[in-house]
Amino acid sequence: MQRNMGIWRILGMMGVIGALLGLLGACATVEPKKPPAVVPTDRGTVMYLEKYEFKYPPEGWRMMRNVEGGDFELGFMKIEKGDFPTQTTFMYDEQPYGSSRDLEKRADYYCTKFLFNSGIEAKVTKREKVPVIGREAIILEMGGENPVQKEKAKSTIYLIKKGNRIVSFVCTQWRPLTGTFSQEPFDHFEAFVQGFKFLKKDFYEQLEEELTQAGL
Amino acid sequence: MEAHNRDLYLYKRLNAQVLGVSMDDPVTNKHFAKSLDLQFPLISNVLPWMGMKYGAYSPTPPFRPDGTSNWFGRRTVIIDKNSIVRYIKDGSPENQEILMFLLKLEKEFRGKK
Repeated sequence: MQRNMGIWRILGMMGVIGALLGLLGACATVEPKKPPAVVPTDRGTVMYLEKYEFKYPPEGWRMMRNVEGGDFELGFMKIEKGDFPTQTTFMYDEQPYGSSRDLEKRADYYCTKFLFNSGIEAKVTKREKVPVIGREAIILEMGGENPVQKEKAKSTIYLIKKGNRIVSFVCTQWRPLTGTFSQEPFDHFEAFVQGFKFLKKDFYEQLEEELTQAGL
Repeated sequence: MEAHNRDLYLYKRLNAQVLGVSMDDPVTNKHFAKSLDLQFPLISNVLPWMGMKYGAYSPTPPFRPDGTSNWFGRRTVIIDKNSIVRYIKDGSPENQEILMFLLKLEKEFRGKK
């Protein structure tokens, strides 16, 4: 009789634990799901964090996201066929090198810092002031070689006026010295830039509005 | 430093002054400021009394090869108009957080006037 009561007590406790686990499980399912970072639109583009809309590059390109501060906001990368470092990256960067809010001065400074740490002796092969996505901009094309590492790189950079600040789009293709640059990744970069839309005001635009409202 | 330089027009609107402090000598600081085109003053504090006062100076390792403890940590300090330290954070400065904090301080200051 006592033995039977022990079994019932154990079964009862198991029932209570089961009920608790069930409740905890229910709590876990109630938590709201985070919306996905990338949402396709019916226009053949994607929306990213409801902040930007752009054309996603084709299969084979991997997305790079800024999750904890850093040098760029978002971008894409593709390891291509060939010896290291045969790859291309392109990105949208809200904080390009330099601090001047004057496009020409910013471009001058940018050219002294870009690819500097890679050991590439980068030269400017094109510099042109033209509107990009309806905004004042400077296009830079830069390239160079690192004979010690036996690498070369070629880049296209858009420095664009956005309100009181300057943002950038950058595409860099890496090849071994004996490799050949390819145009296709730059075409995907062009499609990314030309279709890029800002869907909401950024932090600085919002702050400046708030400062004006506060009379500052 | 470059990020602070980029935000100077906003600091100005927020009635804030940026000061950089380093243990380097004035000539080194001058070259550093020129290389980044810094538009705010850098203080050369070779004997690190400022670092000690604001807790950025480490009296523990890493030491210099001669055994002296001569090392500055990276620390952001915001001092209000009444000379009270209101914000301390180690590591790379978080500019957006700093700007929002300054806006809060400025609103607070204006509210008391």
